[in-house]
Amino acid sequence: MDTTNTTIVETHSLTKRYGSGVLAVDSVDMSVRRGEVYGFLGPNGAGKTTTLRMLVGLIRPTSGTATVAGHAPGDPAGLAKIGSLIESPGFYPYLSGRENLRVVANLAGVNHKRVEEILDMVELGSRAGRKFSTYSTGMKQRLGVAAAVLKDPELLILDEPTNGLDPQGMAEMRKLIKDIGQGDRTVMLSSHLLGEVEQICDRVGVISNGHLVKQATVQELLGEKGVTVRAEPSDKASEVLTKMFGPASVVREDGYFHLKTDPSRSMEINRQLTTAGIGVSELRPFERSLEEVFFQLTGEKQGS
Amino acid sequence: MIATIKAEWRKNRLRPAFLVSSGLLAALTALAYGAQWYQATHPGTGRGNAVVSILTLYPDQFVNNVIGVGFPIGAAFAIVLGALFAGSEYQWGTLKTLLTQHHGRLTTWIGRVVVFEFWMAILTAVLFAAAAVASVIVAGFQGHAISWPAPVDIAKAVGTIWLIFSVNGALGMALGTLFKTSAAALGVGLVYVLALQIIAVRFIDSFNNGAYKWIGDLFDGQNAQALIQSFTSPAFGPSAAPSIGPERAVLVLAAYLAVFLVAAATLIRQRDVT
Repeated sequence: MDTTNTTIVETHSLTKRYGSGVLAVDSVDMSVRRGEVYGFLGPNGAGKTTTLRMLVGLIRPTSGTATVAGHAPGDPAGLAKIGSLIESPGFYPYLSGRENLRVVANLAGVNHKRVEEILDMVELGSRAGRKFSTYSTGMKQRLGVAAAVLKDPELLILDEPTNGLDPQGMAEMRKLIKDIGQGDRTVMLSSHLLGEVEQICDRVGVISNGHLVKQATVQELLGEKGVTVRAEPSDKASEVLTKMFGPASVVREDGYFHLKTDPSRSMEINRQLTTAGIGVSELRPFERSLEEVFFQLTGEKQGS
Repeated sequence: MIATIKAEWRKNRLRPAFLVSSGLLAALTALAYGAQWYQATHPGTGRGNAVVSILTLYPDQFVNNVIGVGFPIGAAFAIVLGALFAGSEYQWGTLKTLLTQHHGRLTTWIGRVVVFEFWMAILTAVLFAAAAVASVIVAGFQGHAISWPAPVDIAKAVGTIWLIFSVNGALGMALGTLFKTSAAALGVGLVYVLALQIIAVRFIDSFNNGAYKWIGDLFDGQNAQALIQSFTSPAFGPSAAPSIGPERAVLVLAAYLAVFLVAAATLIRQRDVT
């Protein structure tokens, strides 16, 4: 299969070792498909930003290869198709938000009319005349996203875009990213916030200590959804549930039955059990949280 | 290339550092003229009771008068601006914004250099304009006829100052790129121009009755001073002939300019932007 049509980012054994000997990224094989919102998940210092910097050509890999938007990282032809916000928004403090975007527009070969459209999109239109140095953290982040989408890129790379934002700002930024990710555009989003990735992303790559430890859809990572039941008498309940779902879909553990079925069937399960004269003391959907999966994959301890 | 120049100009046309420097250079020139005018009209108040000739303050001598500002004062201004121009891009994180747009690193760098050189030309023009205006004011008050130096002499002087500003600005840019910060770059640059190379040249010249003077003559400051000293006039009294010819000084300074710009370009091109 020709992967160049379906993948927009592909890396093979991508490695970065700094002069100090620190191995920041170690043999990362990653693929991001066109049109998806890809979450790049990992704890602080895992190698997310270093990987993203390599993808946009800001730093050179020690070994390995990468293809981004059909080109080598840093190739001007590829950069024309990529919008990025790496780490923190970099703008000139003495210029207004609007003037900063016009500078980027000049560099990107974009008409200045587009600047006004984008300012409205990120809801900075009324405050675009103020100097960048007077902006709040949220406004700076919004301007950073605005600069990244200015050239209507095929691939948008956002590195921890909700960093430093208050809860409301984070919610607004997530909505903005979701809106931007509509249609054919690919969004690659790095974050250490599990909820953020779970809410926004289609697929996730989990990086830990420079290694890409897992790459899958959010659903694949979370595993199958199901229903947990506690009922008495348990032998009779087992009989009824096995009859309903088959033996392979009923797991009995510590007095509970874990059923591999859609939680929407909860009402039907309750009716069948009570009709059979079985007392149901507990019935709830179960799903592993991304947090559990993340800690399992990265080997980190919860709450540490 | 045009796009990078446009973008650089857009962000630097109102940059406070350039605007303030232009204003300061103009103010210093006016102040110098004012002080010299007072000294010329009040004999014995000059430095070391020296007499300042009023003839040096008239428009026909303004080129010879203002050329002295080029080194080391003008050079110091240029170093500070070069260091700020290059170093602040790292401090503000704007270099990554520039380098992740549509152009290669070298193209982006060339665009930046073009705009910086344009600002050095503006500073040169401001310097000469301020001196010309000040000389006209002095001539007007003294009732002296206004006549100007030959256009070719003005052009040579403008070229000299622009070259000196460019060389020192490029040194500032190279240091700003090397240190990835403005403060260290302008500190090291100023120490080099105002102290280190002067001490080094004196030290080298003192060996073996000046046997190694040719090494001292390779320093950019020596060549800048020699070029400035090549502008002489009887109005300023007798002056010692510079040990370096103006043609050679121009070549040496041009070589310094090229080395500083290429060194900075190499750093920009090769180094990771972290």
